[in-house]
Amino acid sequence: MALTSARLLTRTVHEKWICAHSLTLRPLVCINKAAFYGEYRRPGQAQDRTPPWKKIRFSFAKGVQGIRKHFGLLKDEAMERWVGPQGRPLIEHMLEQTRVQWEFRGPESLEQWLVSTDREIGGRSEAYLKLGRNDSACMLYGTLCSTPPRDGETCYSGYCTLRSRQLLSSFDRKKNIDWSSFNTLYIRLRGDGRPWMINIAAETYFSHQKDDLYNYFLYTRGGPYWQDVKIPFSKFFLSSRGRIQDNQHPLWLDKVSTIGFTLGDKADGPFQLEIDFIAVCNDRAHTEEFAYEMYKRNPEV
Amino acid sequence: MNPYVLTTLILSLGLGTTLTFASSHWLLAWMGLEINTMAIIPLMAQQHHPRATEATTKYFLTQATAAAMILFASTMNAWTMGDWNINQISHPLATTTVTLALALKIGLAPMHFWLPEVLQGLNLTTGLVLSTWQKLAPFALILQISQNTNPALLTTLGVMSALVGGWGGLNQTQLRKLLAYSSIAHLGWMIIILQFMPALTLLNLTIYITMTSTMFLSLKIMASTKINSLALAWPKTPTLTTLIMLSLLSLGGLPPLTGFMPKWLILQELAKQDLPITATIMAMSALLSLFFYLRLCYTTTLTTFPNTNNTTSPWRLKSTQITLPLTITIILTLMLLPVTPAITTMF
Repeated sequence: MALTSARLLTRTVHEKWICAHSLTLRPLVCINKAAFYGEYRRPGQAQDRTPPWKKIRFSFAKGVQGIRKHFGLLKDEAMERWVGPQGRPLIEHMLEQTRVQWEFRGPESLEQWLVSTDREIGGRSEAYLKLGRNDSACMLYGTLCSTPPRDGETCYSGYCTLRSRQLLSSFDRKKNIDWSSFNTLYIRLRGDGRPWMINIAAETYFSHQKDDLYNYFLYTRGGPYWQDVKIPFSKFFLSSRGRIQDNQHPLWLDKVSTIGFTLGDKADGPFQLEIDFIAVCNDRAHTEEFAYEMYKRNPEV
Repeated sequence: MNPYVLTTLILSLGLGTTLTFASSHWLLAWMGLEINTMAIIPLMAQQHHPRATEATTKYFLTQATAAAMILFASTMNAWTMGDWNINQISHPLATTTVTLALALKIGLAPMHFWLPEVLQGLNLTTGLVLSTWQKLAPFALILQISQNTNPALLTTLGVMSALVGGWGGLNQTQLRKLLAYSSIAHLGWMIIILQFMPALTLLNLTIYITMTSTMFLSLKIMASTKINSLALAWPKTPTLTTLIMLSLLSLGGLPPLTGFMPKWLILQELAKQDLPITATIMAMSALLSLFFYLRLCYTTTLTTFPNTNNTTSPWRLKSTQITLPLTITIILTLMLLPVTPAITTMF
């Protein structure tokens, strides 16, 4: 009896110790990646506890294909070094005043773009991307629904976004776009009168900058005529995770990663945006470096 | 920046370098290097731009690593040989470690990867300080340990730096990165001759500092950080445009400009030491560097680009920038070759 009580007592003490230390012991056993990297997990969704070695899908043929592809890209990069910057002669780099970066002329152009909506957080918006008539423009269309998902956490919903894929060089290294010769973004599009937001992502270094975007508004006219939009890069302001930052700085154009278009105007219903091309140009009349003056806050008097 | 803070930082920069110059003990030399690193960090980050912060972080990490390696190597030497004296470092592992640490500090290949990115994130004034003043203290140590270093290691570092500096600068359109690769190539020339005649290393360093200062100060006056903006700078300052062309040719090592002096003397010394193949490789790598210097000359001065600019005659206005340092450095960059005998007696 005494022995049983002693065993019970030690077990209870042991269990209490485990419970008290479980929160601290658990990270030592399996690291919560979401806490470290800030990944979004939908409320109510169980955490993915699959160990990394169980996620491997080994395929020898794919591996050989990958090796050939990446070494081919590496060889091209080494060869284009002899030609000039970004594989073009320097004279081209010096003389160009406009550059069409993305244009929609065939099905392969759609593969460079990613469409996403609030469906990923449980919302009910829809968005699709297809080529327009004569394969001459892309059309982003769908339906916006700002009803928030009923998960007890999310308060707002109703957005859709079209974002270009990150360019990759050999061995899946990130490749950035150099727009330092230009100062204006030039887009030819046809909207439906809704206000969009253009987001440009640049190369970042720190993990807390991974959601940094440079935004500006895009007001579409909605007419039957195509709209030429010219936005100087000096107008873009910095935001992080959708929140405009107090400390603003201009966008540095030598390492641009992606461009995106976001719709979130809280107006439920169908939307449509056609884009002919996205280009950059050098407007010599535009000499502004940054549109937003940063006054010293709390100046010493 | 608050002028008192700026003064403190600049004086600290001077203090750090002077400490390292004046020290014969490894710990004091290490302290001088650390003071230099700490003093320049706020100067680099004062721009409050993410790229400047990135450059500052990368610079701090590399310099701290190198300083830790120096401390480790000197401690190891003191433990095995019982000597803290800088020029008495004799344990082979310690000597190799400290050589590699100092190579990382100054940006010699293959430890050069931080230099272009760091320089790209800085403004031109801070970049000038980084490329010139921050090289003095590590070189003071390199010169003191030159007799005890591994010759094969020095030759490898030198040849690799000259080749990497030439190859890396080939397709650069950003001028700060171009000057970073130019710096790496020049450092290669300095290191290759270190084991035979350290005086030539010092001469090369002095002339390199003069020429690089000329380039940075010129770019600062023209407010140009890209090849495109440099190509359209001719209406702003026609005289400076011509002098920039000559300075670039001097950087490339063409006679009768100053830059030819160190290359000529180094190749002569390498030939005297029965190293014709090394001398040939160095001369060929200098051709790579000369290619991008000449390309800059071509775009800046030798051609008038058809691109229009809206600054038709700003050069008629008086400049508000101080031009005296640039004047002095330009004269030194262009006109010192005839006085080579006098200069060689000084070193």
